[in-house]
Amino acid sequence: MNISEEEIRKITFEAISQLGERATPEAVKEIVRKRVESASGSETKFLKSDTSSGRVILTSFGLNHPGIVAGVTKALGESNCDIQDLTQKLMGDFFTMIMVIDITESPKDLKEIQETMNKVAEELKIKIYLQHEDVFKFMHRI
Amino acid sequence: MPYEFEEILETIRMTEIEHFDIRTVTLGISLRDCHDRNLEVTKQKIYDKILKYGGNHVKYAKEIESQYGISIANKRVSITPVSIPFDSFSLEEYVEIAKTLDRAAEDIGIDYLAGFSALVQKGMTNGERELIKAIPFALSETKRVCSSVNIASTKAGINMDAVLMMSEAIKLTAEKTKDKDSIGCAKLVVFANAVEDNPFVAGAFHGVSEPEVTLNVGISGPGVVLDAIKEAGRVDLQHLAEVIKKTIFKITRAGELIGRKVAEKHGVPFGIVDISLAPTPAEGDSIADILKAMGVEDVGAPGTTAALAMLNDSVKKAGLMASSSVGGMSGAFIPVSEDMGMIRAVQAGHLTLEKLEAMTAVCSVGLDMIAVPGDTPATTIAGIIADESAIGVINDKTTAVRIIPAYGKKIGDYVDYGGLLGKAPIMKVSNLSSANFVERGGKIPAPMRSLTN
Repeated sequence: MNISEEEIRKITFEAISQLGERATPEAVKEIVRKRVESASGSETKFLKSDTSSGRVILTSFGLNHPGIVAGVTKALGESNCDIQDLTQKLMGDFFTMIMVIDITESPKDLKEIQETMNKVAEELKIKIYLQHEDVFKFMHRI
Repeated sequence: MPYEFEEILETIRMTEIEHFDIRTVTLGISLRDCHDRNLEVTKQKIYDKILKYGGNHVKYAKEIESQYGISIANKRVSITPVSIPFDSFSLEEYVEIAKTLDRAAEDIGIDYLAGFSALVQKGMTNGERELIKAIPFALSETKRVCSSVNIASTKAGINMDAVLMMSEAIKLTAEKTKDKDSIGCAKLVVFANAVEDNPFVAGAFHGVSEPEVTLNVGISGPGVVLDAIKEAGRVDLQHLAEVIKKTIFKITRAGELIGRKVAEKHGVPFGIVDISLAPTPAEGDSIADILKAMGVEDVGAPGTTAALAMLNDSVKKAGLMASSSVGGMSGAFIPVSEDMGMIRAVQAGHLTLEKLEAMTAVCSVGLDMIAVPGDTPATTIAGIIADESAIGVINDKTTAVRIIPAYGKKIGDYVDYGGLLGKAPIMKVSNLSSANFVERGGKIPAPMRSLTN
């Protein structure tokens, strides 16, 4: 985020009036620089905290056969993803599993994990979807 | 588990099976500071500004797409109506500006850029007159530029001189793009009561009261609503309205989330969410199918207008609850060529232009993507535009006409654009003449309703 010229001008005037008689070009410059840095710093911080919890919902389904949970969890473990919750249901031959995973410690980003999981899905002949937790939070919680 | 099993599966079903997507993230950019008396300098300023703000638009949208697992179908840009900052230019110069816009759109990797526009509901400046005349050339010599002209409003009435000019511009655009089924007309919208923050191309523009740059989102999802209605079974209409509202509420929430995240990436203010049920030619992504699922035998059957009115109203109510920044059109779109169900209804002879006109009185836009015979006189098109504008002006709502008098084609033929624009059967237009009415010119005065102060 950039600070507009208008804002910098305002900060400069404030600094001059604060310094009063002690105002030298160097002192003003120093104060303005600090203020601008802290302003842009706080903005980035706000953006970061606002983005996400780092949690992802993984949904997988397909025809049931041995080794699905093992296959999925193994790949997640190798990517250093932390499984925080897991639930599964069997409806006839049909298998559904939902996991809440934390990917903040993972060296991979969501897209790379998605790619890894796509390979797993192909091997196990199931479907795997990964979506950010915020989507569910927004849709189902007010 | 913080979420119910069913809730998670519902979301997955919506995004993966029912074609729920963010239809468009549209970056609105003001070009009001790009004027210079030298055309070359103006062109450079326009190009630089679009690249400055829009350069990362596609990249950011893709990043959010993969982060949230919800697809964003279109990434687009809208600009200040070109006639406003560049009022001093002539026809040829406007065409040059359109080419610059086309090049900028191509270079930032978007398919459409909208805002080659003018707002002339009360009268025309010299520049606006030149711009309207330039439209057929601009649309035939560019690929990505879309144009719209607002010719009527509840406050100002209907500018019939502009209506006639626009109908001639439409005819010429059809002729100039005859090699491609008159595709130019698919990029040209005539509005009454145009909204300034509409994210949906071709009618989008960045209104004069909008900030320097803003991000608007258009969400859709007829497939989601269709399945919810089917699942509800044979319930009474009040119950059905509730089902529609609940579904729309959820997808609006998702849309707002995605919009805010894309805006955050750009570091620009988030504008509005436009929750509009907009069909695509994909099977199941159809408004016509929703109306049929509600109970009418086919679109065009008695009861269709009532069903559409209820659908449109439920969409608005749910959107309003789900987001504090609802804007744009927010309702149901009924373009013919972009909706398989509508195409079938026209082919079967169930849906006529007249019934469509009635339907537009209760939904969010108007006669959209309608192909008519190439020999339809300009005065008849002017009559159609005037009728549609009258509906908008009297009912204090937006109406639009996007009509394609397909050059050299007649009833039984098709125009076929492929992709999102789809395929339209040529529809029958009344042979009765409107010429003596529309050629009177002047203005239809603003209605009673405009005197609200």
